[in-house]
Amino acid sequence: MPIDFSPPLTSLAAWAVLAGVPVGIIALYFLKLRRKPVQVASTLLWRRSLEDLHVNSLFQRLRRNLLLFLQLLAVGLAMLALTGPRMKGSVGQGSRYVLAIDNSASMNATDVLPTRLAKAKEEAKKVVDGMQSDDLAMVIAFSDRARVVSNYTGNLSLLKKRIDDIEPTEATTSLRDALQVAAGLANPNKVGDVPEGVVATSIVAPKLLIYTDGGFPDVEGFQLGNIEPEVIVIGKASPQLESKSGDESKVPPPPVSNNVAILALQTRRNEDKPDVYQVFGRVHNYKGQDVETEAQLFIRDPANPKAAGTLRDAVALKVPAQGDAAFKFDLPDLGATELEVRIKGDDDLPLDNRAFTLIGNPRKAQVLVVTLGNKYLQDALKTPLADSRADTTFTTPEAARGEAVKRDIAAGKYDLVIYDQFRPEANPEANALYFGAMPPGVNYEKTKEVTGPTILDVNATHPLMQFIRDLSVVLVNKAVVPLELPNGATNLIESNVGPLAFISPREGYSDTVITFPLLEGTGVNTDWVRKFSFPLFIYNALQVVGNARDSAGEEVHAPAQTVSLRPETIGDTVKIVAPDGTASELKRSSQGAFLYNDANATGLYHVTWTPTGALTFAVNEFDARESDLAPRGLVPEGTPATEADKYRIKIGYNPVNSSKNSAPTPRDWWKPIALMALAVVLFEWYIYNRRVYI
Amino acid sequence: MPEIAIKPLLDAEFLVKLEQLELVSRKIFVGRMKGERKSKRRGSSVEFADHRNYSSGDDLRHIDWNVYGRLDKLFLKLFLEEEDLHFYTLLDTSLSMDFGDPTKLQYGKQVAAALSFIGLVNHDRVILDTFSSGLDSGMPSIRGRSQMWRIVQYLDALRASGTSNLTAAAKAFAIKHSGKGVVVVISDFLDKRGYEDALRYLLARNMDIYVVHVLSKEEVEPELVGDLKLIDSEDDDFAEITVSAPLLQRYKATLNAFVGGLKEWCTKRGITYIFTTNHNPFDKLILNYLRERGLVK
Repeated sequence: MPIDFSPPLTSLAAWAVLAGVPVGIIALYFLKLRRKPVQVASTLLWRRSLEDLHVNSLFQRLRRNLLLFLQLLAVGLAMLALTGPRMKGSVGQGSRYVLAIDNSASMNATDVLPTRLAKAKEEAKKVVDGMQSDDLAMVIAFSDRARVVSNYTGNLSLLKKRIDDIEPTEATTSLRDALQVAAGLANPNKVGDVPEGVVATSIVAPKLLIYTDGGFPDVEGFQLGNIEPEVIVIGKASPQLESKSGDESKVPPPPVSNNVAILALQTRRNEDKPDVYQVFGRVHNYKGQDVETEAQLFIRDPANPKAAGTLRDAVALKVPAQGDAAFKFDLPDLGATELEVRIKGDDDLPLDNRAFTLIGNPRKAQVLVVTLGNKYLQDALKTPLADSRADTTFTTPEAARGEAVKRDIAAGKYDLVIYDQFRPEANPEANALYFGAMPPGVNYEKTKEVTGPTILDVNATHPLMQFIRDLSVVLVNKAVVPLELPNGATNLIESNVGPLAFISPREGYSDTVITFPLLEGTGVNTDWVRKFSFPLFIYNALQVVGNARDSAGEEVHAPAQTVSLRPETIGDTVKIVAPDGTASELKRSSQGAFLYNDANATGLYHVTWTPTGALTFAVNEFDARESDLAPRGLVPEGTPATEADKYRIKIGYNPVNSSKNSAPTPRDWWKPIALMALAVVLFEWYIYNRRVYI
Repeated sequence: MPEIAIKPLLDAEFLVKLEQLELVSRKIFVGRMKGERKSKRRGSSVEFADHRNYSSGDDLRHIDWNVYGRLDKLFLKLFLEEEDLHFYTLLDTSLSMDFGDPTKLQYGKQVAAALSFIGLVNHDRVILDTFSSGLDSGMPSIRGRSQMWRIVQYLDALRASGTSNLTAAAKAFAIKHSGKGVVVVISDFLDKRGYEDALRYLLARNMDIYVVHVLSKEEVEPELVGDLKLIDSEDDDFAEITVSAPLLQRYKATLNAFVGGLKEWCTKRGITYIFTTNHNPFDKLILNYLRERGLVK
């Protein structure tokens, strides 16, 4: 075990004096200054006794000088204590600890009682308890984002209180976020040599203790700087990992954990029977054996969000070990309905045994089209399907320059503004779709006019380009393509002369630009408008950038993620009631949307606004990684050293050492050594007085 | 050493004990005629013992004129001259005796006084001698109970001094006292020259020897602690010790060997050996030990 020293005495003179102490003791012994003269009647008998003792000499001599040795031992220990020995990594003015505690959803698991989070807190508090007076620690709680719970402090009770105050969340896990916070705050060297108060003045390698169950991907390409990370894996190790550890030739079996989770839940209108809704989902079994359970469908009462709801339907499920099972419920159209699916049975994480969704309550996109008149565009927006998705308003560029339209756009009345060969003076407070025009702004100043571009590639993975397959036969006459795409933009249609379509983010909105106009004068500029893919693209645009939904249940919100709400109101505040019944007011953001950051728990959130209007959204766990409770990062016993890294959590490609329990806090050793010295002194005193036999 | 601490020998307690001893010893002697002493060398007789032929040079005063009248031969009347029992006490007054509470010397004085008292009560001739590096001048022999005060006075005046040289003292003693008798040697026998030669000198005098070996309690069970430089009270010799259990064990073994050796040496040679510490009440010693060992009856 590497040891280093941090002597409190720095002056050479002090050490010289210290070094003189044992020399002095020995000198006193051998100069016989210490022996107390005592007059006795005769030394006759004593001499004979000593002569006898001298016979078996060395050990006797040692025993004779036992007190000397004990004194030397005591002084030696005291000196050793003064050298301040510590374990490596805790040098200088005390150690620095960064305690990163995972409070993600999987830490709610009860495989270690009471919960993993409680266990993690307990382990972290052990480290706090072991801190020395000059040690500092900071506490970070992390789930999908990291939060500094406590800045560097040496106040142990405050640290413990802060650790106690960490609340469980239902969010996913992102270690990268925690590492970035830790590295930024704990590692001043990384951001330069600028001192940051007391903490940063000492060049101390902070020790990063990560209390987690490992439910996150390896953090790749991350430099921790001089931080020494260690992962303390919380949670019961997978039994298969332990039992099969001897079988080295095979790939290790997937770890099992005592959990069954709903990983997906969706609602769709039945395509064949439009009056029937389908609720379907997927259940995954993380256990090592098959599970027979039951998926139950409850209808929740929006007026009574805390009630359990009424059981509507149930299906029996047989989920194979480490496998999936799907379930499906058919429901008649009940209007806007709140649904909950539960699976029966006890497991270690109850959180993911429930899922919520909604049916009905479809939302139409509010679309403004600024055009001089475009038949193809009008037709595409008037298809029955598009019509069911969007309320479309047509206006002219002239009117668009007027105050009335500008005010409506600024008030957030529209989700999508389509500019047909018209470049507005300023960006609208909505998503925008441009045909044959560039969005305003310096990013789009440098352009070039091209003719007859050949379409080379289509970004088929983008939702806007779903089902669009026939672009390769589309002809385009003229286009004005940007010389380079703005930052963050995604190319949608690539041609031999530049992008023909791209989407670019803009302050919470997005600008979708088709760089070629549809019409040229009275004729067409492209034959795309006559292809199947054109109305499909318009439909996609209504869905993706127009914010239209078939039903509210289509959107999936994960806990602790920002929910962007676009209620059909022009008011500035809405009221949101969380699943636990707490109500809060939400103000419209400067971008026009309502951004709700407190959707931390799974369940149904009810948004209401005045004068009338209501909106419900569901927050679900649906995270296979969080539901997988098998702790990651522990190396099974008996694993050869070369294989061990396979199991370890990696940060920046480096496997991090992990342990089941909190590593014993690297203590200063001077205290126990000083105690030993004291014990030796007491022992010497005892021997001196009691003359005990050694 | 602690001169002030020396209790006067003649304190009330001591006198009371002497009185009791007197009574006890009288009782012992009641009904016992002269000549009943068991000792072969002892016996006092004023009576005729034998006749022998006169040879020239004999004292004419001892010629039995009656026999001459009847037999016309010169016979010498032999009397066993009335010879007192000589009760010698040889007390060690060296510096090493000046230890313990009461000091070994004080204890020895008490024993000597008591024994002398018994001797005086029995009309024995009591001779008290002391020694340290050599035999001291001692006091003249005395007889009779009335002389007890002299003993006490003499003993009271004794102070510990000098190194002990038992051999030289015994040699001088043997030369000085030719008479046979009982000699009680009271000493701690802590003499680096040994005790054997000394006792041999006394044995050679054909004396009835009693050895009273006095050690202080501190010597038997030392209560020393720590690193010490033990200084010999007599010759400034020193021993450096670190008191430990093994050393103390070793010391006790040495002490036992020393006491046992002395006892064995004495017993083998017909010397009565009595071991005592300064905490053993001296009257008990006198009565029990001495009686058991035949010194008093």
